[in-house]
Amino acid sequence: MPPISDYLFLSFALLLIGVAGVAMRRSLIIKLFSIALILNAAGINLMAFARLFADANGETFAAFTIAIVVAQIAVALAIIAAVFTRWLNVSSAPAKHPETGTIAS
Amino acid sequence: MIAFADMLTPAFDTVRNFMHAEGAAFLPELELLLFAFGILAMDFWISHKEKYWSPALALAGVVFSGLTLWMLRARIAAGAEFTAIHETIIVDTYFLFFSALLLAAAAMIILLSVNEVAIPLSHKARYYALLLFACAAMMFAVSAVDLLAMFLALEVAALSCFFLAALPGISRRPASSSVHWMLSSLFGSAILIYGFSLLYGLSGSTNIGKIASALARRHNVAKVIALSKQPGAHGAQMYQLLQSRLPEALHWHPFLLETLPTAAFLLVFFGFLAKIKAAAVHHVNENSSSASPLTPVVFLSGAVVTTTIATLLRLTLTIFADAHDIWWRVTAAVAVAFITTGVVASLRQETFARILAYASLAQVGYLLLALVAGDETALTAMAFYLFSYVFVVTGAFAILLAVRNKSGAGVQLASLNGLRGGSPVAAALLIIFVIALAGFPPTGIFFARYSLFQSLLHNNHRYTAWFAAFAALPLAWSYLRIAVQAWRRDPDPEAEIPAASFGAPEAVVLGVCAFVSLAAGLYSDPFLRMARYAFGQ
Repeated sequence: MPPISDYLFLSFALLLIGVAGVAMRRSLIIKLFSIALILNAAGINLMAFARLFADANGETFAAFTIAIVVAQIAVALAIIAAVFTRWLNVSSAPAKHPETGTIAS
Repeated sequence: MIAFADMLTPAFDTVRNFMHAEGAAFLPELELLLFAFGILAMDFWISHKEKYWSPALALAGVVFSGLTLWMLRARIAAGAEFTAIHETIIVDTYFLFFSALLLAAAAMIILLSVNEVAIPLSHKARYYALLLFACAAMMFAVSAVDLLAMFLALEVAALSCFFLAALPGISRRPASSSVHWMLSSLFGSAILIYGFSLLYGLSGSTNIGKIASALARRHNVAKVIALSKQPGAHGAQMYQLLQSRLPEALHWHPFLLETLPTAAFLLVFFGFLAKIKAAAVHHVNENSSSASPLTPVVFLSGAVVTTTIATLLRLTLTIFADAHDIWWRVTAAVAVAFITTGVVASLRQETFARILAYASLAQVGYLLLALVAGDETALTAMAFYLFSYVFVVTGAFAILLAVRNKSGAGVQLASLNGLRGGSPVAAALLIIFVIALAGFPPTGIFFARYSLFQSLLHNNHRYTAWFAAFAALPLAWSYLRIAVQAWRRDPDPEAEIPAASFGAPEAVVLGVCAFVSLAAGLYSDPFLRMARYAFGQ
């Protein structure tokens, strides 16, 4: 097994990219994908540690994490789709309605 | 028939024995879930005229769950706290106190929702079921002593709240504000799970007690690892010692072992704070004329903040208890930032709901000060503060709801102008709640803050204490603006005077909230005893 620090550096890099994506990008889809990157970084950690300790708890933790977060992301995507349907825009900045010109709250 | 009953008897006995033993630990949550499923099932065959059964069933679920908590209290008093489901949840006085508070919040929201016009009648059953699902998940989160159970419970609660307050159908809240809230909450969850993964890696366990003991011995392990990497016979001896006793430690660098606990604390702490902030201010983007229901907002402002603070506190006091000298600085900085942001932002708002939302950030900052002081007095004061806050903020929102239901007024501050003339009782109650939120004597929040300041001074955090004391003044003014608007009358005689209407459920909630707001200050002894009980005193 490669040193545990290798896994940690990889996951830390993914964490930083994810945080930067959430902080700097305006597109809601990219923000959501950035959050998914952070979750994957945590998943890498959990799987690496589970292998290190030869312990099924870490793998169970990772599996449950993926399941519950997929459910949440599905709900988030549904609402983003609702935003797009109404405003034809998925930016986190206030959007104007294409016909009425009103600002999305 | 008799043979069939004989076949079922052992199964019933097994279930009964289980529920008397380990199953009792999650019986309060199980009852809430059963009632939630019952509401959903019943919704299929009852007509629109019979929809009043949904809140009645939801309330019955909360009452049953509360009675079970009371029975568990007797069991804890007789013996000791006990764990269940492979030591993933615990029933202790801490769980009982916060679960009772969550049930009280849920009961008040159910009563306030009975006449809430903004929730479509066709969706009321789903709404009550989601409330019970969220409450059960929050109770699980408070009782969890395992990272996996805690994370799952928090996320199931968050998911229920997303449906409750964000999805079209139940809520008519603008989708863009919902998506901001969901993304903030998801971001908090992602940061939290990353911190949890580090804690698991440092200990090899997801049980918070085992993590605490592993973190306590990490300095010694780091020293042995450093020695094992040295050349010579001594280094080889240490290497062999590690290989035989703690083989996984050979994969670690001493530097990582020393620094990762701090990183894990920061990630867990900021993950929780992101979730609190998302829940507290999730509705601030809304248009004042929005017809979205207010009751989920009240639930999120009270119950979600309570759950997150309670869970954070359990983790901090168990896992990071030894490192208080390190993390009190981070906590103090965050508390000061929350108080400053809350005060500055709430002073700039012209909307009742937004003032309450931003000022709640400042209230969270005051609650975090208990972690800075870190002694028993401060923790008791925090529990007392949280208890008072849940009732007071629910009462304040209940008045807003009553005004909106009667006169259709928006949540603009100016729309409360002259409430004293339209509904003197509503104006008087609103002033009581506003004074309590502002932290004036004789209210519970005043005494809680006073105890916090005393505890901070006693523990040599005098600058933080003085800052918090001075920041209470502008915070009080931001709340008092609401009372001023409700009290004074517009000089224009043609101006519309707002009025409020209370049904019996709202009157009960307002009566309870007003009683707790004042009684917690005028006769605080029973409430303080309850707060002390949470910490086993």
